[in-house]
Order: sequence, then C-alpha cells, then structure tokens
Amino acid sequence: MKRRGTIATATAAALAALVVTACSSGGTSSTTGTGSSGNNTSANFFNKGLTQVMNPSTHKGGTVTYESHAAPDSFDGGNTYYAWVLNFSRLYEMAMFTYKSCPGQCGLTLVPRLATDMGTASADGKTWTFHIQSGVKYENGSTVTASDVKYAIERTYDRSVMANGPTYYQAILTDPTYPGPYKDKSPNKMGLTAIDVPNATTLVFHLQAAFPDLPYVLAFPSTAPVPPASDTGANYQLHPLATGPYKFQTYQLNKQLTLVPNTAWSASTDPQAKQLASKIVMNLNVNQANVDNLLLTNQAQVDAAGVGVGPAAQAKIETNSTYKANAVNPINGFARFVYIDTKVAPFTNLHCREAVEYAANKTTLQDAWGGPIAGGQIASTVNPPNIIGFSKFDLYNALSQPNGDVSDAKTQLQQCGQPNGFSTTMGYRNDNPQETAAATALQASLQQVGIKLTLKGFAGGTYYTSFCGDPAYVHSHSLGLCAGGWGADWPDGYGFLDELSNGNAIASTGNTNIEELNDSVINNLFAKANTETGAARTAIWAQVDHQIMADAGILPEVYQKSLIYVPTSATNVFVQTYYGMLDYLAIGASSGS
Amino acid sequence: MAVPIDVTTGPGGPPDAGATSSGRSIEGRSLGQIAWLRLRRDKVAIGGGVIVVILILVAIIGPHVVANPDVYHSNLVDPTVLRPTGSFGGISIAHPLGVEPQTGRDVLARIVVGTQYSLLIAFLATALSVIIGTFFGIIAGYFGGWVDAVIARTMDVFLAFPLLLFALALANVIPYSAFGLSGNTLKIAVMVFVIGFFAWPYLGRIIRGQTLSLREREFVDAARSLGARGPYILFRELLPNLVAPILVYATLLIPANILFEAALDYLGVGLYVPTPTWGQMLSIAVTNQYWQIDPWYMIMPGLAIFITVMAFNLFGDGLRDALDPKTR
Repeated sequence: MKRRGTIATATAAALAALVVTACSSGGTSSTTGTGSSGNNTSANFFNKGLTQVMNPSTHKGGTVTYESHAAPDSFDGGNTYYAWVLNFSRLYEMAMFTYKSCPGQCGLTLVPRLATDMGTASADGKTWTFHIQSGVKYENGSTVTASDVKYAIERTYDRSVMANGPTYYQAILTDPTYPGPYKDKSPNKMGLTAIDVPNATTLVFHLQAAFPDLPYVLAFPSTAPVPPASDTGANYQLHPLATGPYKFQTYQLNKQLTLVPNTAWSASTDPQAKQLASKIVMNLNVNQANVDNLLLTNQAQVDAAGVGVGPAAQAKIETNSTYKANAVNPINGFARFVYIDTKVAPFTNLHCREAVEYAANKTTLQDAWGGPIAGGQIASTVNPPNIIGFSKFDLYNALSQPNGDVSDAKTQLQQCGQPNGFSTTMGYRNDNPQETAAATALQASLQQVGIKLTLKGFAGGTYYTSFCGDPAYVHSHSLGLCAGGWGADWPDGYGFLDELSNGNAIASTGNTNIEELNDSVINNLFAKANTETGAARTAIWAQVDHQIMADAGILPEVYQKSLIYVPTSATNVFVQTYYGMLDYLAIGASSGS
Repeated sequence: MAVPIDVTTGPGGPPDAGATSSGRSIEGRSLGQIAWLRLRRDKVAIGGGVIVVILILVAIIGPHVVANPDVYHSNLVDPTVLRPTGSFGGISIAHPLGVEPQTGRDVLARIVVGTQYSLLIAFLATALSVIIGTFFGIIAGYFGGWVDAVIARTMDVFLAFPLLLFALALANVIPYSAFGLSGNTLKIAVMVFVIGFFAWPYLGRIIRGQTLSLREREFVDAARSLGARGPYILFRELLPNLVAPILVYATLLIPANILFEAALDYLGVGLYVPTPTWGQMLSIAVTNQYWQIDPWYMIMPGLAIFITVMAFNLFGDGLRDALDPKTR
C-alpha cells in the first residue's frame, strides 16, 4: 500500500540521519593550521586577560559591535541595576567615582572621575564634602554643575518613575522621605535637604550615621549629572545627555543602540576612559547561541551581558586550542548559594541546618552551574574571593569532601532529633535553567541522608517581591530552603554581606536576608565596622562571614565564573576585576576607520 | 399414496442433520472473528500491536527493574564541557542508553519511567475523550433536530478553543495542592483534563456520523416497534455497533495525545522536577544546548516518542482496515 511504502522510506531516512549524526558527534575537534598550542608562546594565552591587556593597540577608528541576549533594564544611569549596564554606561556618563581601568586586583581600586578627590569626611563621619571638576561639559557644550549631580541623585528617590537601582541614598542620607523631583514643589527642584550645593563645584552630604563606604555608593551611575531642564523622566534613557567619551546617536528601543564620539569630551578630565573606536553599536535581544557564533567568527567584538558563552560554545572553546587562547575565565563576583531559613522548622535547630551543609554534594551543584570553568569554584564561604576582606575557611568539608560528607550529616541529624531525615520545601526560579539544575542536584544529594526536598519553582520577576523574598509567604508555605545569588554592590565586605545577614535588613518584601538571621554577634560586628577604617574594618568582614557559616544560615554553592571569549578584532581587552567582566571603557577595534 | 421412508440405520447411527461430507459442522463467523482473521494477516499492524504491548509492559514493570533515574553520576561526566565521558553519549553495560549530560543520570531509566507517565496520561485523556465524545455523538446523531444543532455548535466551540494557550496559562495558576490532590497527581489530573476534555469533538463527530447512518437501519425500527424507547435503543442497540469505530479512533487518538503531552512537557507545563518525561528531556536538551554537545541525549527521547507514536498509528490503521474494509 502506498502509505506503508511511505512509512518504510521515512524510517530508512531517519535511520540514515542517525548514522550521520553518530559520525559527527562526540570527540574533540582539533585545529591544524595555525598550530598555536595555547601557552605563553602565542600572542594570547588562556586567561591572559586576567592579569594583562590582550591585543594591546593604539589604533583609532573602526566599529566595536556589542551583542546582547537581552535588553537593559534601562540605559539611564539613574534607573539601572544590571552589572553590565553599570559598566557600559561609563562610556557616555561620568559618575562621581569609578573603578580603575586596569587588569588584576588593581581594578578594585576606587578612583575619582567627575569628583576631584576621594572627598572629605567630618570628624563624626556624618558630613562629607566633595568637589567636582570645573571643565566637564555635556555633549551640547554646556558646563556640568554640582546642582546637576544633586538633581541626578534626587531622581532616584521617586521609585514610581525610577523603579530600578539601589536605594542606598534613602537609607544613608538624612531626609529619607524626599518625594523625588517630579513631585518636588521647591523652585529649581532642589528640595533634597540631605545635599547642599554651596557653589557650582561643591557638594555637601549629610548622613544619618557615619558610613565610610559613601564614595563606593557614589560610583553608581546615578551620580552622573542630569540637567533638570533636559530630564524627561522614564524617557530620559532614550537619549541621556552625554558627559563621557561617547554620546547617543540613535537608539531603537530593545533593538539597537549606536554611540559616536562625544566631541565635547576632554581626555584630560577623564584619564580612565579612552576614545578609540569611531562607532559603537549594540544589538539587543539576540539569541545567545547567535551571540556566541558572532564572537567565534569575529563578526562582533563583545557579548555585552558579560557572563560568558553558552554550553555549546563552551564545549567548542574548551576543545579547540586556538579558541581557548582567546578566552578568559574570570570570577564574575557573583556567589550562588541556598538560604536556610532559621525561622522555618526543622531549620530552627542549628544541627538540622548543619546536616544540609554537610550532605550537599558540591560537585553536582558545581556541574549544575556549568562546571569548574563556566560555572564556578566550589564555595565554602559566603564572601567570594574578589571581595576585600575575603578569608578562606571551610567549616563543613565542602572543599575536602566535595561529593558530600554523608557521615557527618547523619551525625547532625541525630543531634537535631531527626535521625531518619525530614521533609521540607525549596523555592527556586524555574525560568533560570541553571538554578533549576542546581535545585534538582541538591534534591538528589539530600535524598541520600533522608532529607526529602519538594521543589517549588517561581518566576524570576516576582521571586524576591512575592515569594522567597516575602517572609510571610515563606512561613505560610514552609519554604525551608530558597535558592539565591548575590553580587556585591561594591567590593568590600559591607557591600556584600550587610543586606544578606544584618538583622535590620529583614524586609517584608524584597527581603535579601532570607535566612532571617538576627544574630546579635553579626549585628554588633556591622555596627562596629562603621566606626573603624582600614585594615581593622576589613578584618571584621571575615568575622561576619565566619559567623554566618557557623550559624549555617547559608549553604554556599559556587563562586561564579564566566567563560568569556575575546575575538581578535577587539583591542585593549582585559577583565575589570570589580565588574567581573571585560572593561568596556577600554575596548577598541583592530581595524577600520 | 404414501411412500414409505426408508430409514436406514448405518453403523454410525442416524445421519446428522447438518453434516457435510467431511464430518465438520458449518459455523457462522462473528464480526469479531472475521476482523481478527483480517488483522492477523496484516503483518505491519501486528508488528505495531506487539510494540504497543511491549511498551505497556515496560511502563508497568520497567520502573521496578531499571536503575534509579534520579541518581547523579558526576564521575561519568566531563566537568569542563559537561559532556558524558563515554562515546555515543556514555553508553556502557551499566548504562545501556548512555547518561545525561551534566548530571550523569541514567538515560534508560529516565526513558522507562517517562514511558509510564506518557502512556498513563495518554490513555486517561483518551478515555475521557471517548466517554464524552461517544455520549454526545450518539445523542446528537440519534435525536437530531435542535439537540443535534446545540451539540454540533458546542463541538465547534471546543474545536476553536486555543488549547495550547489555555494549557500554558493554567500551568502557572495551578497551586501545589487543590481539589484534594497534590504534587504530581494533581499535575497528571490537570494534564488529563486539558488534553482529554477538549479533544472529544474529534470522536464526537465520527460517532455522530456513524449514528446517523445506523439509526436508519431496520433493527432500530424493529426495536422501536417492539416498544423500546430512546435510552434502550441508544445503549443496547446502537452502542454495540459503534464499538468498532470507537476502538479504532481511540487507538488513533492515543498517539496524538502522546505527542501533545510531550509538547506540554517541553513547554514546561509538565510534571514536577525531577520527574523524567520525554518532553522534558527534550526541553533540557534544547535549553541547555546539550543537543550540540551530546546529540544522543536528544535522540533517545525523540526515538522513544517516535517509536511509540508510530506503533500506535500502525496498529490503529490495521485495526481500522480489519474492522471496516470499506474505508480502505
């Protein structure tokens, strides 16, 4: 019959396809030809960009093309919290401070940019005075004044217009109830009493309490000046007035941004930045696999998201020595971990929490995040290694027994009165494939000691506002464990640990102290830290980290790493250690005009 | 004049009334026997049927025989590229179909347990469709008039329903426990409802058509003249004659349901992690780009779906040819 004939042919074709696939699958593909062996003898070698500049060049001109798998939350410096936008916005906006443009640990150094120096604090630490440079101009030639900086900070107070970004100013400065400039009734919209502008180049900040890290907060692009007359609120992102080396030429929302050199910019006012390329193009919402292919074939220069290539490209890079020589594998500053809620039974008992710490199989968790190269290093502390104040310790044999310490876990279960294990629920973001894989891996490893995890997935957009970040929901649904991740807002222990573990950080929504630790030891250490400076202050962060782990409030999974590919058509490429990705201020094109 | 009947009594006694010369009795063959003989001659359909039986056995017995599908084997995975270290996706004696990338879980075990869920959901959904479709089809076909019109329009509404969108939306709204069920049981019930409840017009229309032609037959008139009323005619006279098409189209509905269930799993509407289902394995292979690193991991569940669907289709086709050769 005709139909059966068709079926037979189709089957034969399918089998043939299988055979062909089998022949081309698996195995490594080694290149012949250039013969670079991936060590110091070639012009680039793996991880060169961590300590040196790759493809150094002074070539001016050409186009640098960025590709991004998503769109930014906003290109407006006052309305963004994405790490890559904080990095990229420096091309067109000058904030008060920035991080030094150099590879290695030097990149953690905060340096003044719009400011003239690191600022002066009063004796009690509650009043800070800053001066800004006098010769900085906007792209239209008008001069930047200190009141423009005050206005830019004021904009962040109105969360109904500027919904993204950190809320440090409200927490640190006096006058926290300022409604924002869009509801400000005072003339010139300068109603924030926490900041004084005595003259065109001076700002005086009034703080609620001493806060030595204030310059770090001012490194956020929310301090990039905005002239009140040009502010269009939520639409300002379509063309922010440029003070940096580049300015907006065209911006098709969610599709493409084009930057061209800002003629009003002067290199003498901005030594950290470079103006090499004659055009910068960013394509948004490009499929990640396409982004990776464009980089590998030298058609684009940078993956803007800065968190590395996808698994398929990772495999290609790992098995090809030419590709590998152009790749760099930084720690990206994010830590991935699981919160163990101290207020949800049976985790109210320290030993039940410690059982989870011992039982977790760190190797499978690391694999879930992408393996030791693209995933990260197995973590035994809350602070990742690139935080000032990091100290290495391992309370639960995470490093010595990475496949899990079942015997110690069982001992802890005995001590907490649950010798046969117990059941609990874990929340995680089910639209994040790696977090899903990590939750599944944890479920499998805890099963071995009798702890039964029920996994509950939530959408990422509301995870922190309505579910794991809402203590009422967590308690009513007995979410004993919640997946989490954290990147430092600035590279010292306060910036990393405070929101995670300070008793006063527990919030009713958007909570980040999800383990609900209210340990007076930790709280007192934070209070003490704000009265210390220098090495004494740095030493406190290790103590806080140690206490969080001793309380078993957090199960660390990995210090995340990214596998970033650097095409040879990109010049002056290196990893900026604070951002954990390439330094976008420095990159140029290798050819073109 | 009467002619004397010469009754001879031979050595074997009086001759049998219906004896043929060979000594065997003629027996009429029932419809079922005729169909079975025709089916038996159809080798392809028998092949499909055998595979179907094997699949059902695998679904029932398999999960108790294979390894634990949830156990990780990180030693079998190359950590730098997350690909299984063995060739062909890590095939070995211990893992006959290889292991999963990144986790090292046994693929054979996951496929076998997935068979259980696929067949269970497909069968239950088909049963739901058959029950509803037959009921409304018979009523519409027999009573005609406004009853038929109402049911036919209802069928149109159901056929026009944006089922996939509804399924996706429902998946996000269903809580962990509701209606007295929880966890995977609830999810299975929801999937059976989504797949089965909206597919009944497919069967309903066929049954309605068959009923329309059947009700004009003499045996219906005969039953009516004996005083039988609607329900008796429907369920005692018509329904037995409809068993053939019901069986055939139910068998053909099952593979469509298996494909739809796999599609729902792929889109994330399926069962809770880490329950292995074929659609979910395909989804993992695509989202994590494993199909580029280890194509075998995508081929295995794809093959499972392909073989299952084809077996049911072949058997259903053969069944239809056997039961109703006029449609050949």
